[in-house]
Amino acid sequence: MEMLLMGACISVFGLAVACLAFGAATRTEERSPALQPQPQPAVAKAAAKARFFVDAVRIAPPARPRVPIEALLLQIENHVRLEQAAAESFLQAPTPALLHSRTISPLVN
Amino acid sequence: MNGQPELLKGLTPEETEKVLALGRRMTLTSGAELFHLGTKADTLYLVTRGRIKLTLPMQVRGREEDILVEERSAGQTVGWSALTPPYQFTLTATALVQSEVLAIPGDALRSYFAASPAAGCAISLNLAAVIGQRLQLFQAMWLREVERMVEARCA
Repeated sequence: MEMLLMGACISVFGLAVACLAFGAATRTEERSPALQPQPQPAVAKAAAKARFFVDAVRIAPPARPRVPIEALLLQIENHVRLEQAAAESFLQAPTPALLHSRTISPLVN
Repeated sequence: MNGQPELLKGLTPEETEKVLALGRRMTLTSGAELFHLGTKADTLYLVTRGRIKLTLPMQVRGREEDILVEERSAGQTVGWSALTPPYQFTLTATALVQSEVLAIPGDALRSYFAASPAAGCAISLNLAAVIGQRLQLFQAMWLREVERMVEARCA
């Protein structure tokens, strides 16, 4: 009878230990998703910050002086003349150096 | 115009006179349009004085602008589309300054070629030289632009 009671006690104790272990394990699993939201805002903040800076760069490109259309057309005409002169030089003496020669055109410098 | 026009090189003085007699002189004020891109090309022009600007339309900041492609001066030819199918001008020609041209009808010139094959052959060779020179020039210009584009995009 004593042996039976002892066995029952050990079984109950074992069951209790198992329950505690299960409880602990379950708490750990439950706690991790609960903990996850904490770093998430940080990541979100970081992402938001990164997007903010990227957008800011895209929205505000480096300021370029806008050339008036008449000046731009003159630049294009000047560029064509210079390119034609360079091409003519190449045709008179066809060498790779003359083909790749640079002009002073502001459109390519 | 000093000397023989580029189109009439190699022709005898008599042949040159006959060809020149086919044309009529035209005076253009500065900025006057000689022919327009896409229109029927029925006349060839020998520039005798001044400068003619050849342009193509280009989109610049959303606006269509005539952009200089090349310039022709005394002794040079414009409008050779009048001798080659489909007989349509592929550029617009405008006088840069007050200029004078000799306008030769394409039909009259072709009839003269039929009557004088030797002169026709010489003029055709001269025309081939003009076209070939322009082709070579634009090949070189095109390659330079491609080179810059590749340099800018793949640097």
